[in-house]
Amino acid sequence: MRGRYLSVKRKNDRQAYLFVMPYVLYFLAFVAYPLIFSIVLMFNRWNIVTPMEWIGIRNFVRMIHDPLFFKSLGNTIIFLLIHIPLQVVVALGLAILLNAKLKFRFFFRAVYFMPVVVSGVVVTILWQQLYSFDYGILNNILSSIGLPRIPWLVDAAYAMPSIAIMATWKNVGIYIVLFLVGLQNIPAELYEAASLDGASKAKKFFHVTLPMLNPTIIAIVILSTIGGFSLFIEPYVLTGGGPMQSTLSTMLYIYNQAFYFDHMGYAATLGIVFAIIILTVVGIQRRVIEAET
Amino acid sequence: MELRHAQKFFQVFLVAVLAGCGSRQETANPSSGTIELTYWPAPNIQEIQLADSLVHVWNRTHPAIHIRMQPIPVSQSTEEVLLAAIAGKTTPDICSNIWPGALHDYTQSGGLIPLDTFPDFDSVASARVPAELLKTFRSADGHCFQFPWKSNPVMMFYNKRLFREAGVDSAPRTYSEFLRDAQKVTRDTNGDGQTDIWMGERDIRPIWWQRLFDFYPFYIAASGGKTLFTANAVTYGDESAVKVFDFFQKCYSYGYFPRTFFQGGDPFLLEKKATHFAGPWEVATIEKYAPGLEFGVAPLPVPDDHQGPVYTTGDFKNISIFSTTTHPREAWEFVKFLVTAEHDLLLLEICNQIPVRGDLETNPLFASYFHRNPLMTKFAQQAPYTRGMDAVPDLKEIFDAISQEYEICAVYDRKSPAEAIRDAVDRTRSIVEWNQ
Repeated sequence: MRGRYLSVKRKNDRQAYLFVMPYVLYFLAFVAYPLIFSIVLMFNRWNIVTPMEWIGIRNFVRMIHDPLFFKSLGNTIIFLLIHIPLQVVVALGLAILLNAKLKFRFFFRAVYFMPVVVSGVVVTILWQQLYSFDYGILNNILSSIGLPRIPWLVDAAYAMPSIAIMATWKNVGIYIVLFLVGLQNIPAELYEAASLDGASKAKKFFHVTLPMLNPTIIAIVILSTIGGFSLFIEPYVLTGGGPMQSTLSTMLYIYNQAFYFDHMGYAATLGIVFAIIILTVVGIQRRVIEAET
Repeated sequence: MELRHAQKFFQVFLVAVLAGCGSRQETANPSSGTIELTYWPAPNIQEIQLADSLVHVWNRTHPAIHIRMQPIPVSQSTEEVLLAAIAGKTTPDICSNIWPGALHDYTQSGGLIPLDTFPDFDSVASARVPAELLKTFRSADGHCFQFPWKSNPVMMFYNKRLFREAGVDSAPRTYSEFLRDAQKVTRDTNGDGQTDIWMGERDIRPIWWQRLFDFYPFYIAASGGKTLFTANAVTYGDESAVKVFDFFQKCYSYGYFPRTFFQGGDPFLLEKKATHFAGPWEVATIEKYAPGLEFGVAPLPVPDDHQGPVYTTGDFKNISIFSTTTHPREAWEFVKFLVTAEHDLLLLEICNQIPVRGDLETNPLFASYFHRNPLMTKFAQQAPYTRGMDAVPDLKEIFDAISQEYEICAVYDRKSPAEAIRDAVDRTRSIVEWNQ
């Protein structure tokens, strides 16, 4: 009896291992190996074609003295400061509208989600046309109503906010879905009780809806932060990091170091340090938001 | 049952993956005893057509050495593909799209064969390339890893109709003339308050290779043929570089060049800008996509006090043999075949590109071509006054540093030209020092 049990157990174990093996292989090849390799690269100079050269902590020393790395970090933070509040407010506003009993609301939900599934490069090229100073639709509209044209992408003061608006538009669909789930999970009794107490619509929003959506807001802020830190396609396609390095995001800078200048060791150093920064920020953010709520 | 299927699928998958990870297979020879070599030309239509014709002739006349032509796999740049191929040891035997600026990366890894080790290299090279120019293609160790093939000098194209309508009779030769003409040419044609015709336009994004078509050729022109380095020392922090930044700063700040991106096509072909800095390949593009466009070609404008001939840079593309070849001697024979006078004529006829030859204007073989294509004569005349790239590492990063300063100073006028050049030179020195 025990022998049969062990044989079945062994068979089940084998099957289980077999089923997890594809993911384990994937994890080893595309997560563990690159990560270990990046850590090794941090202490080496390597341009892909020549043998690696051990340089100790010189990549770190270079990073500390590299003004462009810190500039790119600053730019990424500016982007996050604009993008995250905008993302939360716009997504929440639209989710509330789409949660109301509107005609064609399923159609509108699909429409708002559409940019999420469109390729980032396609969206960026589309917005490049919209933002064009001389020929863009936005500036044509401004001109037609007598307002001055805005140098959306060619003025250092406007470029990053323009990119943040575009990124918000691109990603808002996914956050609307998250907010819709949150809104639909709020018990109707809470609104009924608030109505009986004579609460206005605004009071219901601030004292019922918003507190009940706190877990969703935390998730969205964290997801937006991680997504925002990986800002790359938009500045890469739209501005190349300009004007005057105002849209040079950290990811774009790391990419340039690795694939334009073949400084794999230095790019790995920046990448690992940047990953640590992201983990720290997300950790702090989570603690602060949880403490607040 | 399902599990057995899953196991089988997984086994097949594993075998397929392992097979894909196998080492490079030697291509089977078309017939036994025949040597097969792989040749990568540039992946544009004209050069593929040229390579196709030449390889066809070679294979017919050299039955013992078969050439397999395969255009360079399309990517963002040839340099990326070649570096990946060197890393993966999948390089061809011969490639004719070697940019001298990237040569250091290839030689550092031992990826190329020094061509001067072939006994007849000097005689073949000196019969074709002027000695002074050949020197510029030697690496720091004195070896020559590239055979200079085509030079493609960057010159100024100008729209004759737009010039005529603005009352400009001839192409400007100096910065003052350029700015004076720009004032007439740049205008709002429909009275909506927006400029419709610009004197010129450049991609304002700080992308390193964009400087190969503005700052770099203009610096070579202004300095009388100097490049960025002299004997591996940074020497471009001089008055000529400041004058070039100052010139472009005026072009933008006076509104003769737009601080924006053009949409919907090439503004020169659309006759939205009157001048364009490019190589001879542009002639075929204009004739194909804007057949009615009246245009001329002239040397680049230079500072008002400039003396002597006007130099420029060339978008040089050379031929190299990769060290993965098992038949270097045969590969060298094919390289010599590619650069004969007859095949240089084909390069002109099919691709409209200028071979690196000292006898373009004197060899009667080319006379008929230049007679039929007078515009190309201008490029042939410019060819002897064309400079390439310095054989130093990290050129891309150095041009990136120049690009950043060019953008801040010339495009956005936030720094004086002298200050911007000083900062670019400082950063260049840091890059050189760091990478040593």
